[in-house]
Amino acid sequence: MFERRGIGLALMLPATVFIAFGFILPVLILLAGSVQVGGAWSLGHFVEFFSSPLNRDVFWRTFRLGLLVTGVSAVLGYAVALAIVDSSPSAKGRLVGLIVLPLMISPVARTYAWVVILGRTGFLNVALTGIGLTDEPIRILFTETAVFIGLIQLFFPLMVLPLVSALENLPADVVPAARVLGASWFTIFRKIILPLTREGLVVGGTLVFVGSLTAYVTPAILGGSRVLMLETLLYQRVAVANDYASASVIAVILIVMSIATSVLLKRLATARGER
Amino acid sequence: MRGLGRLVLAAVLLFLIGPFIIICLAGLSAGETLAFPPQGLSLRWVARVFEVQSFRSAFWLSIWLGFGATLGALLLGIPAAYALERYDVPGRQVVRNIVSAPIVVPGLIVGLALLRHLVIPAGIPVTLALFIGHTALLVPYAVRIVSASLQNLRVDMEEAAVLLGASRAGAFFRVVLPNIRNGIVAAFIIGFVTSFNQVPVSLFLSGPGVSTLPIDMMFYMEFNYDPSIAALSGLLALMSFAIVLVAERLLGLSRYV
Repeated sequence: MFERRGIGLALMLPATVFIAFGFILPVLILLAGSVQVGGAWSLGHFVEFFSSPLNRDVFWRTFRLGLLVTGVSAVLGYAVALAIVDSSPSAKGRLVGLIVLPLMISPVARTYAWVVILGRTGFLNVALTGIGLTDEPIRILFTETAVFIGLIQLFFPLMVLPLVSALENLPADVVPAARVLGASWFTIFRKIILPLTREGLVVGGTLVFVGSLTAYVTPAILGGSRVLMLETLLYQRVAVANDYASASVIAVILIVMSIATSVLLKRLATARGER
Repeated sequence: MRGLGRLVLAAVLLFLIGPFIIICLAGLSAGETLAFPPQGLSLRWVARVFEVQSFRSAFWLSIWLGFGATLGALLLGIPAAYALERYDVPGRQVVRNIVSAPIVVPGLIVGLALLRHLVIPAGIPVTLALFIGHTALLVPYAVRIVSASLQNLRVDMEEAAVLLGASRAGAFFRVVLPNIRNGIVAAFIIGFVTSFNQVPVSLFLSGPGVSTLPIDMMFYMEFNYDPSIAALSGLLALMSFAIVLVAERLLGLSRYV
């Protein structure tokens, strides 16, 4: 557009150099540590990492919770996004504001609220024993359920926002037209809404899935050392055991999983879109 | 179907917002240990938050880090975004990938990498490493938001200014910058809040004496079960609420998120 490329290059240079040397280089050196044993190239650290049943457990738990959080967020997300798009314009802005609000609040504060609710002497247990549903307080904190609840609250807004904008871009008369022609609500959703909002779903799904895989605060506070996820395991390996080899292996797994998810889902969205 | 949708919406909003109401009330408890419903109401734990020395120093570190890192990210990001949008430079895609790289790397790994391969070998102070990590984290946001603002601004405006005799730089400062001001303010608010709330990048780069507020809170709650973290969490939630409200009034922040 503008001719003088030299100026353009000069303007990009500071950010590029800063990120390359202050960020990419240290991370690459860390990642390289995972494929080196005693100075030689080797996959030994990976073999060792996956030979431990504990590590395999953590790996599958992270994957499983990520899928579960994404799936539940998607189902609830459609219900909420449809209800928001359906409401009056002034209410719409306020509802989106309420959905966005938690995103701006400290994750530590957000997660700690669940300790107050789910703990042994927490709100839920007081209420449950109060109505006489249980005699003993039930353990919810430091279980996968607690981590799941915390992750849903943390990432749900990231699913709703893209769905709302995708639904707003639907052509105005396709849904009424289908209804006039006698399609059931479920058929309308499956044949019209889902295909036409697929891109929003993919964007939201990627954010929620990758976010859940790489979350640290929520599993650390709500799962503790009982419900380790990959990130909390990484912290533990370094802080408790000084085990940098495992840490770099986990780092590679997390980065590869994140990038693979983003690329795969993006492919999926565009491939279907071209039909 | 419509009624069901409304019901789900109400339940979800309760699920998203309810915990903040509960934590604010738990922080107002007069009791010695964390409990909800609170055992009597008092401001003693709110007052206590302001007395804890480590909270105070961590708060100020977080504030300065938030301002510094956001400013750094904008100083690096605005020129880069401008060049990416307006100049046909070879290797544009490579630069775009490099400046968005921090999004794909989990924060904990960034912190560990900086500690092991920058702080220790190069003898860099931890506070500087915190600044580098937070700035890197925010550069992609800055570039993306400023790029979006530039895409909404027609190129003709600058060209008209140049034809009327302004220099390239003059056109940038007097035409472009004022027109993308809202985007920059939005990027600043989002950047500050992101840095202020950031945990994973800072975790490995914190130690006794040098610790950001969320990290200090996490360490404190490991060994204490009093309501002061609830009080502090409530204060932070109210602070974010105020920031969002002001930002929404000023420039409709929800358009940028």
